[in-house]
Amino acid sequence: MEAESWYVWTLIAGMAAIAFFTRAVFILPGSHLRLPPTAERVLRYAPAAALMAIVVPDIAMAHGVFSISIENPRFVGGLVAFALAVSTRSILATIVGGMLALTLVRQFTG
Amino acid sequence: MQREQISALREGALASAALLVGIVPWGIVAGVAMVSAGLSQAQAVAMSVLVFAGTAQLAVLPLLIAKAPLWVMVATALVVNLRYVIYSAVLAPHFEHLPRPWRVLLSYITVDGVFALFAARFQPDDGNRHKHWYFLGGSLVMWCAWQLASWIGIFAGAMIPAEWSLEFASTLGLIALLIPLLFDRAVVWGALAAGGVALIAAKLPLNLGLLAAIAVGVAVGLAVARLGPRKEEGRV
Repeated sequence: MEAESWYVWTLIAGMAAIAFFTRAVFILPGSHLRLPPTAERVLRYAPAAALMAIVVPDIAMAHGVFSISIENPRFVGGLVAFALAVSTRSILATIVGGMLALTLVRQFTG
Repeated sequence: MQREQISALREGALASAALLVGIVPWGIVAGVAMVSAGLSQAQAVAMSVLVFAGTAQLAVLPLLIAKAPLWVMVATALVVNLRYVIYSAVLAPHFEHLPRPWRVLLSYITVDGVFALFAARFQPDDGNRHKHWYFLGGSLVMWCAWQLASWIGIFAGAMIPAEWSLEFASTLGLIALLIPLLFDRAVVWGALAAGGVALIAAKLPLNLGLLAAIAVGVAVGLAVARLGPRKEEGRV
């Protein structure tokens, strides 16, 4: 499933600009600008909210329909990954455990 | 280079070596996930070099697979990268005396782990004239490790059959990255609200549900933070 080429290249260029701009915004002007506390709090909550908003639909929906059941391999894999992430704090254990759970459920639900 | 600069560079590199355990498997996963999501090998290599922001890279992949519009993916990358704005504000006074090419380089190469090491070790007014070498040393180790690990993933990923669904590894990787971000009650409630709204609003066109979810998540986080302390007092 090769993604369309110009679309991906534009995405890469946009992300490269974003990645540089967010890191350089205070370092490059080299001034003593300070973040107001409210702005800092928004900046702290946004990434966690964004990640959760990407992850939840990805694991709790199957074929565009709400599906939280033991028969949805991605849901089970996601839950196992959450449990492992909390208990081990290891990226590797989280990913390996989640993929194993996904594969096992697929074997049983065929 | 002076001896102090070399020793600061080496010190930073050694300190960040402890972070390799985390970044290497994560880089391999990002490499595999990029090609599983449909990027060519050249595109995947370009992304890992030019973007060099693993969380943002992993975050856009599920959206790319779902054929989300470009602006939604770029907006998502921006939101996930907002933490760098905080890092940038903290680092700016340390680096303000440096020439512009240095500041460009240090901006491009900033990553979470080295930022944390650096911020814990140096103060803006500590008069240390070689601390940017420490930052550079640590960052270079992370950059090389990230690129090598990504390339391993990119070239190995092309050989892994699609039935294995390895693109799901990007979602699992996001879960691993999400947990350490949940450092207080307000963030947890904000994230839960965002997850709920994303689910309810999943059918909105142009993936607006995602952006709505982030907005609601931030609002809930701010509200909980404001109400939180008073409630605690009430209970005690």
